[in-house]
Amino acid sequence: MDDRQIQIVMDTFWPLLKAGVLYTIPLTLITFALGLIIAVITALIRLSSWRIPKLIAGFYVWIIRGTPLLVQLFIIFYGLPSAGIILSPYISAIIGLSLSVGAYGSEIVRAAILSIQKGQWEASYSLGMTRLQALRRIILPQAARVSIPPLGNSFISLVKDTSLVSVITFVEMFKKSTQYVAYYYEPLLIYCEVGVIYLLFCSVLSVLQNKVEKRLERFSAS
Amino acid sequence: MIEIRGLHKSYGSLEVLKGVDVTLPKGKVLVIIGPSGSGKTTLLRCFNLLEVPDRGSIKLGDNSFEFHAGAKIPQKDILALRKSTGMVFQSFNLFPHMTAIENIMEAQVTVQKKNKGEARKRAEVLLEKVGLADKADSYPHKLSGGQQQRVAIARAMAIDPEVLLFDEPTSALDPELVGDVLKVMKQLAAEGMTMAIVTHEMKFAADVADHIILMDDGLIIEQGSPQEVLNNPKSSRAIQFLNHLNGKSEE
Repeated sequence: MDDRQIQIVMDTFWPLLKAGVLYTIPLTLITFALGLIIAVITALIRLSSWRIPKLIAGFYVWIIRGTPLLVQLFIIFYGLPSAGIILSPYISAIIGLSLSVGAYGSEIVRAAILSIQKGQWEASYSLGMTRLQALRRIILPQAARVSIPPLGNSFISLVKDTSLVSVITFVEMFKKSTQYVAYYYEPLLIYCEVGVIYLLFCSVLSVLQNKVEKRLERFSAS
Repeated sequence: MIEIRGLHKSYGSLEVLKGVDVTLPKGKVLVIIGPSGSGKTTLLRCFNLLEVPDRGSIKLGDNSFEFHAGAKIPQKDILALRKSTGMVFQSFNLFPHMTAIENIMEAQVTVQKKNKGEARKRAEVLLEKVGLADKADSYPHKLSGGQQQRVAIARAMAIDPEVLLFDEPTSALDPELVGDVLKVMKQLAAEGMTMAIVTHEMKFAADVADHIILMDDGLIIEQGSPQEVLNNPKSSRAIQFLNHLNGKSEE
């Protein structure tokens, strides 16, 4: 690296990190929270005995998992205006990413609920609990414990997937880096730089994920 | 107290209960024995409708049920029945994310809507009763099987049930832990708790049972006092089963 490149890194690192902290991270947190709500609701519907809602939930998961996120984002941002629905880049990004997290997350939550022993349901029922009470008090807290590792993975994937929303003109960290590349014409340097920042974010998250898992282990049976 | 008439239950083409009648008066102990696959656990699980019978009737205190093909039992009636029964399972089924005392408080707070302080007081009394006052804040995986089962008994009693149901409560325990659990059950029987117990512990059955039912192939083949059923069985199938058990216990 020559002096000019070092100067470029010095000039762009903080603005890029700032874009990450101001846009990438909030976008990740918001879409993950919304996605998780969608995931739990979808999982519960798919485990219920309501025929029509079950079909709809299954259809939703099928569509989202069977098409690229990039295509979904294009449909929401560039396609929907033709149908009269015009959404800002920010809202489009939140909708696209949340729906994606919700679909994949619902399978994780569903598997976690199914992994809880039948005896836990029976013990709850034998004490006079309704299905909803058993879910809320007994099953979901245990399912949450089971789903933390795979949901942690989804969360880390999501941090990286937010870079996709740069294509719908949302200026988050990656979009910012492409602007710097256009300005300085140092693609190798600047793309590596932004890659390092993503790596930094994900590494911190991995450590946090480990901490959460450790904390929840205090009541694990094995 | 409990009146069961003509109970039938099938899983697909497999008929598990073929018309069973049971009467359990208040304050008495009923022990159900029989070879595996005889339907005894299914019968017990019909008491609190964890299994819903196909035909027959159940009356438990103020709750009465008639079962017919295709008739659905209202959820609120099922809940009412379950609030007046407590069940202890072979595999304990304690809630692993709650401490011993939280396990015992749970239904009091969630189902009976008691406040936490009241529920905790009741739980403390029950823990004391099963000899585990010092384990109140332990999570289930820190307890031995026998201790877990005693917490489970306390949990079942916390909702003040009219009858306690035990489904092979000692079958999953190491032999040296069985005694502690049986001791608690004997104490409950002595205090006049109405109980229905599925077990293989014949000595225990002989000690505490007021009435013994011997089931085979979905039917009651022998019943009466422990003396009558265990010492003077009439049917050859019963004699065969009891000999087999005795042979086993002499190993």
